[in-house]
Amino acid sequence: MLSIALSELIQIFRNRLVLVTSLIMPAAVSAYFIYQHEVFADLGSLGYIAGLVMFTVGAFGLYTTTVTTLASRRQNLFLKRLRSTPASDASILLGLMLPVTVLALLQVAAILTVLAVVAGGPTNVVLLVAAVLATVIMMLGLGLATAGLTNSPEHAQVTTLPISLGAIAVASWVGITGAEELTLLKRLLPGGSATELVLNAWNGGVPVTDSLLLLVPTLSWVIVAVALASRLFRWEPRR
Amino acid sequence: MTSTPVIDVARLNLSYGDFHAVKDLSFQVEKGELYALLGTNGAGKTSTLEAIEGHRRATSGTVRVFGQSPRDRRAVRPRMGIMLQESGFSPDLTVRESVRLIGKLSQREDRVERVLSIVDLTHKAGTQVSQLSGGEKRRLDFATAVYGKPELIFLDEPTTGLDIQSRDALWDAVDKLREDGSTIVLTTHYLEEAQQRADRIGLMHKGTFHREGTVAELTQTLPATIRFALPAPAPALPLPLPLQATRANDGQFLIETFGLQKDLHTLLGWAHANAVELRELQAGPTRLDDVFRSIDRD
Repeated sequence: MLSIALSELIQIFRNRLVLVTSLIMPAAVSAYFIYQHEVFADLGSLGYIAGLVMFTVGAFGLYTTTVTTLASRRQNLFLKRLRSTPASDASILLGLMLPVTVLALLQVAAILTVLAVVAGGPTNVVLLVAAVLATVIMMLGLGLATAGLTNSPEHAQVTTLPISLGAIAVASWVGITGAEELTLLKRLLPGGSATELVLNAWNGGVPVTDSLLLLVPTLSWVIVAVALASRLFRWEPRR
Repeated sequence: MTSTPVIDVARLNLSYGDFHAVKDLSFQVEKGELYALLGTNGAGKTSTLEAIEGHRRATSGTVRVFGQSPRDRRAVRPRMGIMLQESGFSPDLTVRESVRLIGKLSQREDRVERVLSIVDLTHKAGTQVSQLSGGEKRRLDFATAVYGKPELIFLDEPTTGLDIQSRDALWDAVDKLREDGSTIVLTTHYLEEAQQRADRIGLMHKGTFHREGTVAELTQTLPATIRFALPAPAPALPLPLPLQATRANDGQFLIETFGLQKDLHTLLGWAHANAVELRELQAGPTRLDDVFRSIDRD
Protein backbone atom coordinates (compact mmCIF):
# COMPACT_ATOMS: atom_id res chain seq x y z
CA MET A 1 0.00 0.00 0.00
CA LEU A 2 2.76 2.43 0.90
CA SER A 3 4.62 1.83 -2.35
CA ILE A 4 1.41 2.58 -4.27
CA ALA A 5 0.89 5.69 -2.15
CA LEU A 6 4.45 6.84 -2.80
CA SER A 7 4.10 6.44 -6.56
CA GLU A 8 0.78 8.27 -6.38
CA LEU A 9 2.41 11.16 -4.55
CA ILE A 10 5.06 11.39 -7.27
CA GLN A 11 2.32 11.46 -9.88
CA ILE A 12 0.38 14.21 -8.12
CA PHE A 13 3.40 16.48 -8.04
CA ARG A 14 4.34 15.68 -11.63
CA ASN A 15 0.90 16.34 -13.04
CA ARG A 16 0.43 20.09 -12.84
CA LEU A 17 -3.27 19.97 -13.64
CA VAL A 18 -3.95 17.77 -10.63
CA LEU A 19 -1.66 19.84 -8.48
CA VAL A 20 -3.52 23.04 -9.36
CA THR A 21 -7.03 21.66 -8.85
CA SER A 22 -6.26 19.66 -5.74
CA LEU A 23 -3.85 21.95 -3.90
CA ILE A 24 -3.58 25.47 -5.20
CA MET A 25 -7.18 26.23 -6.06
CA PRO A 26 -8.67 25.29 -2.66
CA ALA A 27 -5.80 27.06 -0.90
CA ALA A 28 -6.38 30.24 -2.90
CA VAL A 29 -10.12 30.22 -2.23
CA SER A 30 -9.55 29.54 1.45
CA ALA A 31 -7.02 32.37 1.62
CA TYR A 32 -9.71 34.67 0.28
CA PHE A 33 -12.18 33.54 2.97
CA ILE A 34 -9.62 34.31 5.65
CA TYR A 35 -8.67 37.63 4.09
CA GLN A 36 -12.36 38.61 4.09
CA HIS A 37 -13.12 36.90 7.37
CA GLU A 38 -14.96 39.85 8.82
CA VAL A 39 -17.41 39.89 5.91
CA PHE A 40 -18.03 36.15 6.14
CA ALA A 41 -18.25 36.26 9.93
CA ASP A 42 -20.94 38.93 9.63
CA LEU A 43 -22.77 36.78 7.10
CA GLY A 44 -22.61 33.68 9.30
CA SER A 45 -19.92 33.22 11.90
CA LEU A 46 -16.28 32.22 12.17
CA GLY A 47 -17.52 28.63 12.27
CA TYR A 48 -19.11 29.23 8.88
CA ILE A 49 -15.69 30.14 7.46
CA ALA A 50 -14.24 26.97 8.98
CA GLY A 51 -17.03 24.94 7.40
CA LEU A 52 -16.47 26.60 4.02
CA VAL A 53 -12.75 25.90 4.19
CA MET A 54 -13.39 22.29 5.11
CA PHE A 55 -15.77 21.76 2.21
CA THR A 56 -13.72 23.73 -0.30
CA VAL A 57 -10.77 21.45 0.38
CA GLY A 58 -12.96 18.37 0.85
CA ALA A 59 -15.09 18.84 -2.25
CA PHE A 60 -12.69 20.43 -4.71
CA GLY A 61 -9.36 19.20 -3.43
CA LEU A 62 -10.11 15.76 -2.10
CA TYR A 63 -13.33 14.61 -3.73
CA THR A 64 -12.75 15.89 -7.25
CA THR A 65 -9.13 14.74 -7.28
CA THR A 66 -10.10 11.29 -6.02
CA VAL A 67 -12.68 10.84 -8.77
CA THR A 68 -10.35 12.19 -11.46
CA THR A 69 -7.45 10.07 -10.27
CA LEU A 70 -9.42 6.83 -10.11
CA ALA A 71 -11.01 7.44 -13.52
CA SER A 72 -7.64 8.22 -15.03
CA ARG A 73 -5.89 5.20 -13.48
CA ARG A 74 -8.68 3.00 -14.73
CA GLN A 75 -8.71 4.47 -18.21
CA ASN A 76 -5.00 3.86 -18.80
CA LEU A 77 -5.30 0.37 -17.26
CA PHE A 78 -3.02 1.22 -14.32
CA LEU A 79 -5.67 -0.26 -12.00
CA LYS A 80 -5.60 -3.50 -13.97
CA ARG A 81 -1.83 -3.48 -13.83
CA LEU A 82 -1.90 -3.08 -10.04
CA ARG A 83 -4.45 -5.87 -9.82
CA SER A 84 -2.03 -8.12 -11.73
CA THR A 85 0.16 -8.11 -8.62
CA PRO A 86 -0.49 -9.70 -5.23
CA ALA A 87 -1.80 -6.37 -3.89
CA SER A 88 -5.38 -6.60 -2.62
CA ASP A 89 -8.15 -4.35 -3.91
CA ALA A 90 -8.38 -2.59 -0.56
CA SER A 91 -4.68 -1.80 -0.40
CA ILE A 92 -4.74 -0.58 -4.00
CA LEU A 93 -7.57 1.85 -3.27
CA LEU A 94 -6.09 2.95 0.03
CA GLY A 95 -2.71 3.46 -1.61
CA LEU A 96 -4.23 5.52 -4.41
CA MET A 97 -6.27 7.71 -2.06
CA LEU A 98 -3.82 8.08 0.79
CA PRO A 99 -1.60 10.90 -0.59
CA VAL A 100 -4.43 13.19 -1.62
CA THR A 101 -6.17 12.51 1.70
CA VAL A 102 -3.09 13.40 3.71
CA LEU A 103 -2.59 16.51 1.59
CA ALA A 104 -6.21 17.52 2.16
CA LEU A 105 -5.92 17.02 5.92
CA LEU A 106 -2.70 19.01 6.06
CA GLN A 107 -4.32 21.77 4.04
CA VAL A 108 -7.39 21.98 6.26
CA ALA A 109 -5.21 21.94 9.37
CA ALA A 110 -2.93 24.67 8.03
CA ILE A 111 -5.74 26.93 6.82
CA LEU A 112 -7.80 26.57 9.99
CA THR A 113 -4.68 27.29 12.04
CA VAL A 114 -4.23 30.52 10.13
CA LEU A 115 -7.90 31.34 10.65
CA ALA A 116 -7.54 30.69 14.39
CA VAL A 117 -4.49 32.94 14.61
CA VAL A 118 -6.03 35.73 12.55
CA ALA A 119 -9.58 35.70 13.89
CA GLY A 120 -9.66 33.60 17.05
CA GLY A 121 -9.66 29.85 17.57
CA PRO A 122 -12.33 27.16 17.97
CA THR A 123 -14.08 26.42 21.23
CA ASN A 124 -13.67 22.66 20.99
CA VAL A 125 -10.69 21.42 18.97
CA VAL A 126 -11.45 17.72 19.47
CA LEU A 127 -14.95 18.13 18.09
CA LEU A 128 -13.54 20.07 15.17
CA VAL A 129 -11.09 17.28 14.41
CA ALA A 130 -13.92 14.73 14.56
CA ALA A 131 -15.96 16.83 12.13
CA VAL A 132 -13.08 17.15 9.69
CA LEU A 133 -12.23 13.44 9.81
CA ALA A 134 -15.86 12.39 9.34
CA THR A 135 -16.19 14.79 6.41
CA VAL A 136 -13.00 13.54 4.79
CA ILE A 137 -14.14 9.93 5.06
CA MET A 138 -17.54 10.85 3.64
CA MET A 139 -15.99 12.67 0.68
CA LEU A 140 -13.71 9.69 0.00
CA GLY A 141 -16.69 7.33 0.01
CA LEU A 142 -18.65 9.63 -2.30
CA GLY A 143 -15.54 9.89 -4.48
CA LEU A 144 -15.34 6.10 -4.83
CA ALA A 145 -19.02 5.91 -5.73
CA THR A 146 -18.78 8.77 -8.23
CA ALA A 147 -15.70 7.19 -9.83
CA GLY A 148 -17.91 4.21 -10.66
CA LEU A 149 -20.10 6.48 -12.77
CA THR A 150 -17.18 8.29 -14.37
CA ASN A 151 -15.72 6.94 -17.60
CA SER A 152 -12.71 9.20 -18.00
CA PRO A 153 -10.84 12.00 -16.27
CA GLU A 154 -12.55 14.47 -18.61
CA HIS A 155 -15.91 13.01 -17.70
CA ALA A 156 -15.06 13.63 -14.04
CA GLN A 157 -15.37 17.37 -14.62
CA VAL A 158 -19.09 16.78 -15.13
CA THR A 159 -19.81 13.90 -12.77
CA THR A 160 -18.24 15.62 -9.75
CA LEU A 161 -20.22 18.84 -10.08
CA PRO A 162 -23.47 17.80 -8.33
CA ILE A 163 -21.76 16.68 -5.16
CA SER A 164 -18.97 19.26 -5.03
CA LEU A 165 -21.26 22.22 -5.70
CA GLY A 166 -24.01 20.64 -3.61
CA ALA A 167 -21.73 20.23 -0.62
CA ILE A 168 -20.60 23.87 -0.80
CA ALA A 169 -24.21 25.00 -1.17
CA VAL A 170 -25.36 22.94 1.80
CA ALA A 171 -22.44 24.19 3.88
CA SER A 172 -23.32 27.78 3.04
CA TRP A 173 -27.01 27.27 3.68
CA VAL A 174 -26.43 25.70 7.07
CA GLY A 175 -23.55 28.07 7.86
CA ILE A 176 -25.54 31.22 7.14
CA THR A 177 -29.04 30.29 8.28
CA GLY A 178 -28.15 27.85 11.08
CA ALA A 179 -30.04 24.65 11.70
CA GLU A 180 -32.97 25.92 13.75
CA GLU A 181 -35.37 25.74 10.85
CA LEU A 182 -35.75 22.79 8.50
CA THR A 183 -33.45 21.00 10.94
CA LEU A 184 -34.14 17.47 9.73
CA LEU A 185 -33.62 18.30 6.06
CA LYS A 186 -30.45 20.25 6.72
CA ARG A 187 -29.01 17.50 8.84
CA LEU A 188 -29.83 14.76 6.39
CA LEU A 189 -28.32 16.46 3.36
CA PRO A 190 -24.72 15.35 2.81
CA GLY A 191 -22.50 17.90 4.50
CA GLY A 192 -25.34 19.50 6.46
CA SER A 193 -24.74 17.92 9.82
CA ALA A 194 -20.96 18.09 9.30
CA THR A 195 -21.25 21.84 8.83
CA GLU A 196 -23.42 22.18 11.90
CA LEU A 197 -20.83 20.19 13.83
CA VAL A 198 -18.09 22.57 12.71
CA LEU A 199 -20.24 25.55 13.68
CA ASN A 200 -20.76 24.08 17.14
CA ALA A 201 -17.10 23.18 17.53
CA TRP A 202 -15.87 26.61 16.49
CA ASN A 203 -18.55 28.90 17.93
CA GLY A 204 -19.41 26.85 21.03
CA GLY A 205 -22.66 27.19 22.97
CA VAL A 206 -23.99 23.67 22.30
CA PRO A 207 -23.52 20.68 24.63
CA VAL A 208 -20.89 18.28 23.31
CA THR A 209 -23.19 15.27 23.57
CA ASP A 210 -25.74 16.98 21.32
CA SER A 211 -22.99 17.78 18.84
CA LEU A 212 -21.66 14.24 18.78
CA LEU A 213 -25.05 13.02 17.53
CA LEU A 214 -24.39 15.09 14.43
CA LEU A 215 -21.72 12.58 13.45
CA VAL A 216 -24.40 9.98 12.81
CA PRO A 217 -25.80 11.43 9.55
CA THR A 218 -22.29 12.02 8.19
CA LEU A 219 -21.17 8.49 8.96
CA SER A 220 -24.43 7.19 7.51
CA TRP A 221 -23.50 8.90 4.28
CA VAL A 222 -20.21 7.02 4.44
CA ILE A 223 -22.11 3.73 4.61
CA VAL A 224 -24.40 4.77 1.75
CA ALA A 225 -21.42 5.89 -0.32
CA VAL A 226 -19.46 2.70 0.27
CA ALA A 227 -22.51 0.57 -0.54
CA LEU A 228 -22.96 2.53 -3.77
CA ALA A 229 -19.27 2.27 -4.55
CA SER A 230 -19.26 -1.49 -4.13
CA ARG A 231 -22.02 -1.70 -6.74
CA LEU A 232 -20.78 0.99 -9.09
CA PHE A 233 -17.01 0.84 -8.94
CA ARG A 234 -15.30 -0.70 -11.95
CA TRP A 235 -11.67 -1.68 -12.23
CA GLU A 236 -11.46 -1.80 -15.99
CA PRO A 237 -12.77 0.53 -18.67
CA ARG A 238 -15.92 -0.45 -20.50
CA ARG A 239 -15.18 -2.11 -23.78
CA MET B 1 4.06 -36.56 -15.50
CA THR B 2 2.61 -37.26 -12.11
CA SER B 3 3.10 -33.79 -10.65
CA THR B 4 0.05 -31.54 -10.51
CA PRO B 5 -0.21 -29.26 -13.52
CA VAL B 6 0.69 -25.61 -13.11
CA ILE B 7 -2.59 -24.65 -14.75
CA ASP B 8 -5.70 -26.79 -14.64
CA VAL B 9 -8.80 -25.58 -16.43
CA ALA B 10 -11.90 -27.75 -16.22
CA ARG B 11 -15.13 -27.07 -18.12
CA LEU B 12 -14.60 -23.34 -18.06
CA ASN B 13 -17.48 -21.17 -19.21
CA LEU B 14 -17.43 -17.39 -19.53
CA SER B 15 -20.46 -15.35 -20.50
CA TYR B 16 -21.08 -11.65 -20.85
CA GLY B 17 -24.79 -11.11 -20.84
CA ASP B 18 -26.09 -13.13 -23.75
CA PHE B 19 -22.68 -13.66 -25.28
CA HIS B 20 -21.13 -17.03 -24.48
CA ALA B 21 -17.43 -16.23 -24.96
CA VAL B 22 -15.93 -19.50 -23.71
CA LYS B 23 -17.72 -22.85 -23.72
CA ASP B 24 -16.74 -25.89 -21.66
CA LEU B 25 -13.02 -25.40 -22.13
CA SER B 26 -10.68 -27.87 -20.43
CA PHE B 27 -6.90 -28.08 -20.58
CA GLN B 28 -3.77 -28.36 -18.49
CA VAL B 29 -0.36 -26.78 -18.67
CA GLU B 30 2.50 -28.74 -17.13
CA LYS B 31 5.46 -27.29 -15.33
CA GLY B 32 8.12 -25.99 -17.71
CA GLU B 33 5.87 -26.03 -20.76
CA LEU B 34 5.42 -23.22 -23.22
CA TYR B 35 1.75 -23.34 -24.03
CA ALA B 36 0.39 -21.15 -26.82
CA LEU B 37 -3.24 -20.15 -26.78
CA LEU B 38 -4.08 -19.20 -30.33
CA GLY B 39 -7.23 -18.40 -32.17
CA THR B 40 -9.17 -16.24 -34.54
CA ASN B 41 -10.30 -12.80 -33.42
CA GLY B 42 -13.03 -13.09 -30.82
CA ALA B 43 -12.31 -16.78 -30.26
CA GLY B 44 -12.18 -16.30 -26.49
CA LYS B 45 -8.40 -16.30 -25.95
CA THR B 46 -8.24 -13.12 -23.91
CA SER B 47 -11.27 -14.09 -21.82
CA THR B 48 -9.70 -17.46 -21.08
CA LEU B 49 -6.37 -15.85 -20.26
CA GLU B 50 -8.02 -13.35 -17.93
CA ALA B 51 -9.82 -16.16 -16.12
CA ILE B 52 -6.52 -17.98 -15.59
CA GLU B 53 -4.74 -14.81 -14.52
CA GLY B 54 -7.50 -14.19 -11.99
CA HIS B 55 -8.78 -10.99 -13.57
CA ARG B 56 -12.12 -12.53 -14.47
CA ARG B 57 -14.47 -14.75 -12.53
CA ALA B 58 -15.51 -17.96 -14.28
CA THR B 59 -19.22 -18.13 -15.07
CA SER B 60 -18.94 -21.86 -14.37
CA GLY B 61 -16.21 -24.48 -14.25
CA THR B 62 -12.96 -24.34 -12.33
CA VAL B 63 -9.57 -22.80 -12.90
CA ARG B 64 -6.64 -23.84 -10.70
CA VAL B 65 -3.19 -22.32 -10.81
CA PHE B 66 -0.54 -24.02 -8.69
CA GLY B 67 -3.49 -25.97 -7.31
CA GLN B 68 -5.16 -22.81 -6.02
CA SER B 69 -7.77 -20.36 -7.15
CA PRO B 70 -6.16 -17.66 -9.32
CA ARG B 71 -8.44 -15.16 -7.64
CA ASP B 72 -6.55 -15.70 -4.40
CA ARG B 73 -4.00 -13.08 -5.34
CA ARG B 74 -1.96 -13.29 -2.17
CA ALA B 75 -1.34 -17.01 -2.69
CA VAL B 76 -0.83 -17.12 -6.43
CA ARG B 77 0.43 -13.80 -7.76
CA PRO B 78 3.86 -13.78 -6.10
CA ARG B 79 4.63 -16.81 -8.27
CA MET B 80 3.39 -15.36 -11.56
CA GLY B 81 4.31 -12.50 -13.85
CA ILE B 82 1.74 -11.04 -16.20
CA MET B 83 2.40 -9.15 -19.41
CA LEU B 84 -0.93 -7.61 -20.29
CA GLN B 85 -2.05 -7.06 -23.85
CA GLU B 86 -2.21 -3.34 -23.23
CA SER B 87 0.45 -1.87 -21.05
CA GLY B 88 -1.36 0.00 -18.29
CA PHE B 89 1.42 2.15 -16.92
CA SER B 90 1.03 5.59 -15.49
CA PRO B 91 2.31 8.12 -18.03
CA ASP B 92 3.66 10.34 -15.26
CA LEU B 93 6.00 7.72 -13.76
CA THR B 94 9.43 6.99 -15.15
CA VAL B 95 10.49 3.60 -16.47
CA ARG B 96 12.53 2.94 -13.32
CA GLU B 97 9.69 4.00 -11.00
CA SER B 98 7.20 1.81 -12.86
CA VAL B 99 9.38 -1.30 -12.63
CA ARG B 100 10.26 -0.58 -9.01
CA LEU B 101 6.57 -0.21 -8.06
CA ILE B 102 5.33 -3.35 -9.82
CA GLY B 103 8.43 -5.29 -8.75
CA LYS B 104 7.94 -4.29 -5.14
CA LEU B 105 4.27 -5.28 -5.27
CA SER B 106 5.20 -8.64 -6.82
CA GLN B 107 6.97 -9.53 -3.55
CA ARG B 108 9.79 -11.10 -5.59
CA GLU B 109 13.44 -10.20 -5.22
CA ASP B 110 15.25 -8.67 -8.15
CA ARG B 111 17.05 -5.56 -9.30
CA VAL B 112 15.40 -2.93 -11.49
CA GLU B 113 18.65 -2.51 -13.46
CA ARG B 114 18.78 -6.22 -14.29
CA VAL B 115 15.31 -6.44 -15.83
CA LEU B 116 15.77 -3.15 -17.67
CA SER B 117 18.98 -4.45 -19.22
CA ILE B 118 17.16 -7.58 -20.43
CA VAL B 119 14.86 -5.43 -22.56
CA ASP B 120 17.49 -2.83 -23.42
CA LEU B 121 15.75 0.01 -21.61
CA THR B 122 18.59 0.91 -19.26
CA HIS B 123 19.17 4.18 -21.08
CA LYS B 124 15.47 5.03 -20.72
CA ALA B 125 15.32 4.39 -16.96
CA GLY B 126 14.74 8.05 -16.15
CA THR B 127 12.27 8.65 -18.98
CA GLN B 128 8.59 9.09 -18.23
CA VAL B 129 6.36 6.40 -19.69
CA SER B 130 4.44 9.03 -21.68
CA GLN B 131 7.62 9.58 -23.72
CA LEU B 132 8.07 5.92 -24.70
CA SER B 133 7.26 4.46 -28.10
CA GLY B 134 4.77 1.62 -28.41
CA GLY B 135 7.53 -0.96 -28.70
CA GLU B 136 9.34 0.44 -25.66
CA LYS B 137 6.14 0.17 -23.63
CA ARG B 138 5.82 -3.48 -24.64
CA ARG B 139 9.39 -4.08 -23.48
CA LEU B 140 8.71 -2.28 -20.20
CA ASP B 141 5.70 -4.53 -19.76
CA PHE B 142 7.85 -7.60 -20.34
CA ALA B 143 10.44 -6.31 -17.86
CA THR B 144 7.83 -6.03 -15.10
CA ALA B 145 6.43 -9.48 -15.92
CA VAL B 146 9.81 -11.21 -15.53
CA TYR B 147 10.88 -9.24 -12.45
CA GLY B 148 12.15 -11.77 -9.95
CA LYS B 149 11.99 -14.70 -12.42
CA PRO B 150 8.48 -15.92 -11.65
CA GLU B 151 7.58 -19.59 -12.02
CA LEU B 152 4.68 -18.82 -14.34
CA ILE B 153 4.64 -16.06 -16.93
CA PHE B 154 1.73 -14.89 -19.06
CA LEU B 155 2.70 -13.22 -22.31
CA ASP B 156 -0.32 -11.71 -24.06
CA GLU B 157 0.85 -10.83 -27.57
CA PRO B 158 4.31 -9.94 -26.30
CA THR B 159 5.96 -9.09 -29.60
CA THR B 160 3.26 -6.92 -31.17
CA GLY B 161 4.90 -3.70 -32.29
CA LEU B 162 8.45 -4.88 -31.60
CA ASP B 163 11.23 -4.65 -34.17
CA ILE B 164 13.09 -7.83 -35.03
CA GLN B 165 16.02 -7.18 -32.67
CA SER B 166 13.71 -6.57 -29.74
CA ARG B 167 11.74 -9.67 -30.65
CA ASP B 168 14.87 -11.82 -30.69
CA ALA B 169 16.03 -10.33 -27.38
CA LEU B 170 12.66 -11.05 -25.83
CA TRP B 171 12.71 -14.67 -26.95
CA ASP B 172 16.28 -15.07 -25.70
CA ALA B 173 15.07 -13.88 -22.31
CA VAL B 174 12.17 -16.31 -22.44
CA ASP B 175 14.55 -19.16 -23.29
CA LYS B 176 16.69 -18.31 -20.27
CA LEU B 177 13.64 -18.29 -18.01
CA ARG B 178 12.63 -21.67 -19.38
CA GLU B 179 16.08 -23.07 -18.62
CA ASP B 180 15.38 -22.07 -15.02
CA GLY B 181 12.10 -24.00 -15.16
CA SER B 182 9.55 -21.23 -15.75
CA THR B 183 6.24 -22.13 -17.35
CA ILE B 184 5.04 -19.82 -20.11
CA VAL B 185 1.56 -19.17 -21.44
CA LEU B 186 1.60 -17.26 -24.70
CA THR B 187 -0.88 -15.69 -27.05
CA THR B 188 0.36 -14.26 -30.32
CA HIS B 189 -0.71 -13.30 -33.79
CA TYR B 190 2.70 -14.28 -35.14
CA LEU B 191 2.05 -17.93 -35.86
CA GLU B 192 5.64 -18.72 -36.73
CA GLU B 193 6.58 -17.78 -33.16
CA ALA B 194 4.13 -20.30 -31.81
CA GLN B 195 5.20 -22.88 -34.35
CA GLN B 196 8.86 -22.51 -33.42
CA ARG B 197 8.52 -22.20 -29.67
CA ALA B 198 5.35 -23.75 -28.31
CA ASP B 199 5.46 -27.22 -26.79
CA ARG B 200 1.73 -27.39 -27.19
CA ILE B 201 -0.91 -25.25 -28.79
CA GLY B 202 -4.56 -24.76 -27.95
CA LEU B 203 -6.26 -23.47 -31.06
CA MET B 204 -9.48 -21.71 -30.11
CA HIS B 205 -12.42 -20.98 -32.33
CA LYS B 206 -15.79 -19.65 -31.18
CA GLY B 207 -15.10 -20.29 -27.50
CA THR B 208 -13.87 -23.87 -27.71
CA PHE B 209 -10.78 -25.73 -28.81
CA HIS B 210 -10.79 -26.31 -32.52
CA ARG B 211 -7.69 -28.42 -32.01
CA GLU B 212 -5.20 -28.95 -29.22
CA GLY B 213 -1.82 -30.63 -29.29
CA THR B 214 1.81 -30.29 -30.32
CA VAL B 215 2.65 -28.38 -33.46
CA ALA B 216 3.23 -31.68 -35.25
CA GLU B 217 -0.13 -33.01 -34.15
CA LEU B 218 -1.87 -29.89 -35.38
CA THR B 219 -0.19 -29.78 -38.75
CA GLN B 220 -0.13 -33.47 -39.63
CA THR B 221 -3.84 -33.54 -40.39
CA LEU B 222 -3.22 -31.23 -43.32
CA PRO B 223 -1.05 -32.08 -46.35
CA ALA B 224 2.46 -30.74 -46.84
CA THR B 225 3.05 -28.56 -49.88
CA ILE B 226 5.50 -28.30 -52.79
CA ARG B 227 5.53 -25.10 -54.86
CA PHE B 228 7.49 -24.26 -57.95
CA ALA B 229 7.34 -22.35 -61.19
CA LEU B 230 8.49 -23.32 -64.67
CA PRO B 231 10.62 -21.09 -66.93
CA ALA B 232 8.55 -18.40 -68.60
CA PRO B 233 8.82 -19.49 -72.22
CA ALA B 234 7.63 -22.82 -71.02
CA PRO B 235 9.14 -25.67 -72.93
CA ALA B 236 5.99 -26.70 -74.64
CA LEU B 237 4.56 -28.71 -71.88
CA PRO B 238 3.71 -31.96 -73.39
CA LEU B 239 5.78 -33.46 -70.65
CA PRO B 240 3.17 -34.64 -68.23
CA LEU B 241 3.91 -33.84 -64.63
CA PRO B 242 4.46 -36.96 -62.61
CA LEU B 243 2.14 -35.71 -59.87
CA GLN B 244 -1.26 -34.12 -59.39
CA ALA B 245 -0.67 -30.36 -59.31
CA THR B 246 -2.80 -27.26 -59.40
CA ARG B 247 -1.71 -24.10 -61.12
CA ALA B 248 -2.26 -20.77 -59.44
CA ASN B 249 -2.91 -17.50 -61.28
CA ASP B 250 0.69 -16.41 -60.92
CA GLY B 251 1.80 -19.50 -62.81
CA GLN B 252 3.06 -21.30 -59.73
CA PHE B 253 2.38 -24.97 -59.36
CA LEU B 254 1.16 -26.36 -56.07
CA ILE B 255 1.32 -30.00 -55.04
CA GLU B 256 -0.35 -31.08 -51.81
CA THR B 257 0.93 -34.34 -50.40
CA PHE B 258 0.95 -36.53 -47.32
CA GLY B 259 4.18 -38.15 -48.57
CA LEU B 260 6.43 -35.13 -48.88
CA GLN B 261 9.76 -36.93 -49.11
CA LYS B 262 8.64 -39.46 -51.69
CA ASP B 263 6.76 -37.01 -53.89
CA LEU B 264 9.55 -34.47 -53.77
CA HIS B 265 11.94 -37.18 -54.89
CA THR B 266 9.63 -38.07 -57.75
CA LEU B 267 9.37 -34.44 -58.83
CA LEU B 268 13.10 -33.80 -58.68
CA GLY B 269 13.77 -37.02 -60.61
CA TRP B 270 11.32 -35.94 -63.28
CA ALA B 271 12.86 -32.48 -63.54
CA HIS B 272 16.35 -33.92 -63.80
CA ALA B 273 15.39 -36.51 -66.39
CA ASN B 274 13.65 -33.91 -68.55
CA ALA B 275 16.20 -31.12 -67.92
CA VAL B 276 13.46 -28.87 -66.56
CA GLU B 277 14.43 -26.04 -64.22
CA LEU B 278 12.13 -25.79 -61.21
CA ARG B 279 12.18 -22.14 -60.24
CA GLU B 280 11.30 -20.79 -56.80
CA LEU B 281 11.14 -24.33 -55.53
CA GLN B 282 9.75 -24.64 -52.01
CA ALA B 283 8.80 -27.70 -50.09
CA GLY B 284 7.75 -27.92 -46.49
CA PRO B 285 5.42 -29.23 -43.89
CA THR B 286 2.10 -27.56 -43.33
CA ARG B 287 2.41 -24.32 -41.49
CA LEU B 288 0.16 -23.17 -38.69
CA ASP B 289 -1.13 -20.51 -41.05
CA ASP B 290 -2.68 -23.24 -43.11
CA VAL B 291 -4.24 -24.81 -40.04
CA PHE B 292 -5.75 -21.42 -39.29
CA ARG B 293 -7.00 -20.98 -42.81
CA SER B 294 -8.65 -24.36 -42.64
CA ILE B 295 -10.64 -23.45 -39.52
CA ASP B 296 -13.55 -21.95 -41.35
CA ARG B 297 -13.58 -24.69 -43.95
CA ASP B 298 -14.24 -27.43 -41.44
